[in-house]
Amino acid sequence: MLTKITKLALTALLSILFLQVKGQSELSENKRASLWRNFENVTLDSIKGRAIYEQRLDRNPLYGLLEMRKALRDSSVIEYLPMFQGVILGQYKLGNTIRFRSLPDEDRKLQRQRFFQEPKRYKFDFWLQPIFAANFGNRMKPIQSNTSILLQTQFHLWQGLVLNAGILFPITNDLDNRPKIIRPAPFFLNQFYASGKHFFSASLGYFYNDQYGFNFQYRNADLSLPLSFGFEGSLTGKYNYPRGGIYAGPIDQLLAIADISYRLNRPDVTLKLSGGQYLWKDRGVRFEFIRQFTNVEIGLYAMKTKNGSTAGFNFAIPIPPGKIIQGAKARFRTTDEFRWEYSYTRGFQIGERYRTGYQLDQKLRQYHVNYLNSQR
Amino acid sequence: MLAAITKVVEINIRMILHPIFRKGGFLLSFLILFFTGKTATAQLNITGKPGLIYVPSASFNPDGTFIFGGNYNPKKYSFRRNNRNSENTYFINLTLLKRFEIGLNLTRSNGVGKISGVGDRQLDIKYQLFKEKTIMPSIAIILSAPFSINNSFTTNALMATKSLKISEQLVADVSLGYGSPYYILRDESEKSNSNIFANMKLKEKKDLPYRYLSGPLGGVSLRYKKNAGIMFEWDSQNFNIGAYGTLFKKWTIQAGLLNFDQITFGTSYSLNLKTLPKRLKNADENY
Repeated sequence: MLTKITKLALTALLSILFLQVKGQSELSENKRASLWRNFENVTLDSIKGRAIYEQRLDRNPLYGLLEMRKALRDSSVIEYLPMFQGVILGQYKLGNTIRFRSLPDEDRKLQRQRFFQEPKRYKFDFWLQPIFAANFGNRMKPIQSNTSILLQTQFHLWQGLVLNAGILFPITNDLDNRPKIIRPAPFFLNQFYASGKHFFSASLGYFYNDQYGFNFQYRNADLSLPLSFGFEGSLTGKYNYPRGGIYAGPIDQLLAIADISYRLNRPDVTLKLSGGQYLWKDRGVRFEFIRQFTNVEIGLYAMKTKNGSTAGFNFAIPIPPGKIIQGAKARFRTTDEFRWEYSYTRGFQIGERYRTGYQLDQKLRQYHVNYLNSQR
Repeated sequence: MLAAITKVVEINIRMILHPIFRKGGFLLSFLILFFTGKTATAQLNITGKPGLIYVPSASFNPDGTFIFGGNYNPKKYSFRRNNRNSENTYFINLTLLKRFEIGLNLTRSNGVGKISGVGDRQLDIKYQLFKEKTIMPSIAIILSAPFSINNSFTTNALMATKSLKISEQLVADVSLGYGSPYYILRDESEKSNSNIFANMKLKEKKDLPYRYLSGPLGGVSLRYKKNAGIMFEWDSQNFNIGAYGTLFKKWTIQAGLLNFDQITFGTSYSLNLKTLPKRLKNADENY
């Protein structure tokens, strides 16, 4: 009898233990599955021990690197190759320190072939992006602002080529006298291309800050070295949405800016000197001091141009909560990056510019191996 | 005495928090989540710099510390419309590098309506010349950006601060320094303000209705760990006393009596931008 009770008790104990272990592993399986959904366009190459992936949720690529390792639970993968718009940025090895290696062009081409076999490698990704422009200090109206919320998405058409589109919902506007109508958000094509340490970005369409036209950026950046330099050129004109249509003015703005940046190792500070022709034919130079924190980037700048001299600050932050709903095929989230700049002067058109989807130097410095290492 | 003051601060905090706690569990758990974390915070002065009530100190917060908050300054001691309107100062302060701090503040007069505009904006920088050692105090220089056309409380000061340990829990932070009696004013209208380096003029603070940090200044903050403290200071014009308490290591509430006459009070909240978010920490462990 006693043995029977002992046996029963033992069985009960074992089954409880087993259930718990099973429960734990199921829980972590769920967690891994949930992490897995953060990624898109994933290719696992077990022969070379590589994971090639894209993660659009976070500004900081460290999330993607570490969560991919966690989601995989596969020790045969030793190299992580994050992509931007389907183009591999480089090869990272995760150890006590993260190591970076530039990638041969053949590997990037292979990824292009995979994309054509399975064009559905990307989710339908929708995100909310706020826009805020403001003038401060007008005596009669202290804050004049133009605030909107954009519902945006991207369509991947080719390796590196995306169509950006969305809907703009106006919230406030007493900055200019344009009507507050629901209208298309900036709508443009962007081709990103990388070859060794040479990076290119070309955009065509209707951009932010009411400029439309063509924009080209080039950057020479080894993501493990401190020095990088680049060039940006564009031909644009003004556009806006009056009631019942679109107005596009003549393409009469030539923007041509070159820059050189030096990244200090500790702390994560980039010193950037740029100069050339800005909008409204203003010419001058700008010096910037940029500190990269984990989720936030903060910059201080001073500039001197034909139109005057000014100083200010800027920042880039992700808008919480990040992902709102995410499935295997679609996702709804808040933007991974909101940028804003404050200038001490207003109304003198000093070194003004417009924005496309991203700036090459801003995007690439996030992938610098020293920035990733300094966070751990 | 300190215990009594801590108790008073605690009772006041409870009174402030009462409606929040009453609303129930969800808000409370949210607050607990929001307020927990490791960030060391120094008490901030009226313009949002580590210091006492008016007096700044040479202390530095850890690299990446980001603090925001606001202070109320009473009518008789206000800088913007002295003896006419009280004012509120809203600030952010960021330790951008280990030895370099920037502060931005916005001062708005109370009860003046639209003529006030958005308020006076001021940018200050602080650089640590020497770190605190066994005998050597920490020494820092604080400067207000000279390109403002309307600085309410220009700070151009050299400060030294030394922390003296009285007991395991009790520390006295002693600050001494000198505030320049001169300041730079740009005689410019905002309508023609296209060059932030133009028309700079050296002015004397004695010509202002209220002289902020002009001459020798200093004070003592007697604190219990990093939780609460009492402060005594000479701000170059008046003698002020005050107290502060820090809740959940991040939220500071402070109040002071200026010249044994009128009350100032304020609050601030501190974050660290270098702190690794939980999601990243989790991803880096147990993979």
